[in-house]
Amino acid sequence: MTRRTRSLLGAVAAVTVAAAALTGCSSGNNSTDSASSGGVVHLTFTNWDNGMQTLVNTWNKENPKIQVKLIKPSGTGYTLYNKLITDNSAGTNPDLTEVEYQALPMMVSNKVVVPIDKYVTNLSNFSKSTLSQVQFEGKTYGVPQNVCPLVFFYRKDLLAKDGITTPPATWDEFAKDAAIVHKANPKQYLMNFDASSPEWFAGLAQQAGANWWTTSGDTWSVNIDDAATQKVASYWQNLLDQGVIAPGPSWSTQWNTDMNSGNILGWVSGQWAPNQLPTIAPDTAGDWVAAPVPAWTAGDQTIGTWGGEVEAVTANSKHPAEAAKFANWMNNTKEGINLLIKNVQVFPAAQKYQSLPALQTPPPFMKNQPDYNTLMKQLASNVRGFDIWGPNANITFNSYSDAFGKAVQNHTSFVDALKTVQTDTVSDMKKTGYKVK
Amino acid sequence: MLLVAPAVLLLVLFTFAPAVYAFVLSVLKVQVTGGLLGTSTAQVFAGFENYVDTLADPEFWDSLGRMLIIAVIGVPATLFFATLFALCLDANRARLTGIWRLAIFLPYAVPGVIASLLWGFLYLPATSPIGGQFIDYFGNTGIFFAVANVATWGVIGFNMVVLFTAVRAIPKEIFDAAQIDGASELQIALRIKLPMIAPALSMVALFSVIGALQLFNEPTTLKPLTNAISSTWVPLMRVYSDAFVNNNIYGGAASAFTLLVMTVAATVLVNVIGNRISKRSAR
Repeated sequence: MTRRTRSLLGAVAAVTVAAAALTGCSSGNNSTDSASSGGVVHLTFTNWDNGMQTLVNTWNKENPKIQVKLIKPSGTGYTLYNKLITDNSAGTNPDLTEVEYQALPMMVSNKVVVPIDKYVTNLSNFSKSTLSQVQFEGKTYGVPQNVCPLVFFYRKDLLAKDGITTPPATWDEFAKDAAIVHKANPKQYLMNFDASSPEWFAGLAQQAGANWWTTSGDTWSVNIDDAATQKVASYWQNLLDQGVIAPGPSWSTQWNTDMNSGNILGWVSGQWAPNQLPTIAPDTAGDWVAAPVPAWTAGDQTIGTWGGEVEAVTANSKHPAEAAKFANWMNNTKEGINLLIKNVQVFPAAQKYQSLPALQTPPPFMKNQPDYNTLMKQLASNVRGFDIWGPNANITFNSYSDAFGKAVQNHTSFVDALKTVQTDTVSDMKKTGYKVK
Repeated sequence: MLLVAPAVLLLVLFTFAPAVYAFVLSVLKVQVTGGLLGTSTAQVFAGFENYVDTLADPEFWDSLGRMLIIAVIGVPATLFFATLFALCLDANRARLTGIWRLAIFLPYAVPGVIASLLWGFLYLPATSPIGGQFIDYFGNTGIFFAVANVATWGVIGFNMVVLFTAVRAIPKEIFDAAQIDGASELQIALRIKLPMIAPALSMVALFSVIGALQLFNEPTTLKPLTNAISSTWVPLMRVYSDAFVNNNIYGGAASAFTLLVMTVAATVLVNVIGNRISKRSAR
């Protein structure tokens, strides 16, 4: 599941990775050299999800000829992706790695991952919209793992104290609720505006109907500051100006403390949140309830996404066939997906397996909501993403964090910040040589 | 000649070679041609394009400005407190100096990243025992003091030890003579000890200035806690974010090389000033 653990640890790891990348040593990730001994193929697999080891153990027990070694990366998200790009030229990447959907185009354009069409034949288990996230120019890069719709998590117990008994159905209601919560107790906020999580904001823009990147032939159009996204930006700026939501970034000590102590009562997050909340707000297990993200117009069920990932075979792998086989087993067979649901709490991308009995049990953190995964299934079917993620979404995301962080800090216009993100993205694409309309 | 060969070899290998490599990278760039996702991507010669980009970017100069503000707060504070501690510990009436010396030195032994994490807890309203609920440590002005404080806190101890050692090296007879002449403890400290440790002071100043140029750990670790710190807040953060977030190792190399030139210039400048001061005080 997506893990932008933009936590303090992340910062520590970032520094470590920087050091490692600078000196050119990538300890631990280079094992393809000692590949096959005695007919046994040894694969390395980079993945940061909690619970993945159990899955690997099961595979290793059942497949003595293809042994997988799980490697926890020293950084997640873009820290990992940039390391993968750097290590790619050194030839030291693992055989298999997890990549979030939004970073896959960047991995493809840097030739870090290879197509798997040769090795995997049953991709018809996935929906067209899921496959569009991993297929570019007619080739499939990796096996999709999960669908991560945006979900509104809220503290039912605390909202009830303020007289709010049903979750907000529209963003208008959300704004009203935010005002009620903050008025009842000035220390409390319904949510925070997260300038540090670009994927979150992208998900909200998706819901509003934005399409940040589109293509025709090999020409790109970039529309980050379109009307839909501006609507989202202005909406949140308005809430911030009224002071009814908190201005601080998520994944910080402050935020964790506020989430745990009940000063922040809600979180528009991804389907994966119940796998993260135990570290963020350990004392609140069972207190949160998941609901659909508020809609722009009542009754509209469109939902954006936050994260979701694909297991991709790297260009450095000497055993792409075996690596693809493992990726496919994990994400596209009943056994693999059952293990993923139980251990990593994914909502599977493979449509064929979206009604497995294992999904009738909620994640441990959501034990009070037995129909948790039924809701996820409903939300997953209403997901609307961008046509394609840009080849430099990293620039876009970094620019979002800087521009929106600055706007929150200085109380300046979010719409202007959006323009900065658009300009940064386009100028980088042009500079690198992409055709941009 | 032969005797310095190993030293020269090491210097070339570990100082000049990386600098040359960084320079080579800085005049290259990646060019994508053809295909939606750039199926033919190549490294091409860019001339001084990356340097022009760096120097023409207002954010680069802003980041230098922010670094200077922190240096203006942090360097004098480091010098002042390090000198004060050194002189206090050397005072005749000071007791348990060994323990205090260790206590003052201790922060230096704490890695910068960990120190920043600890200070982060102290600054944030939700966890602050030092008034974070009332003082906005991450405000537009506060942030400079917050960062400078962490950086200064970490290096005062080390600089204090350097200065303390210099004070201790002064012959005791001079103090005795001054005492017989009726000089007070304070007068001895200000009129005798301080001028005599001027060379050490200029060295400590040099360390502090170079330390300011290398500012990275503290703001980077504090960044996830606040919107006040951007990914290009100080020059080294920009180099890092170019090279490892934006995947533009060439632009990063150009910024890094520009900074290298600036660092060498600053070092020479501080050295020249320091030498003048110590020469004057020696007269």
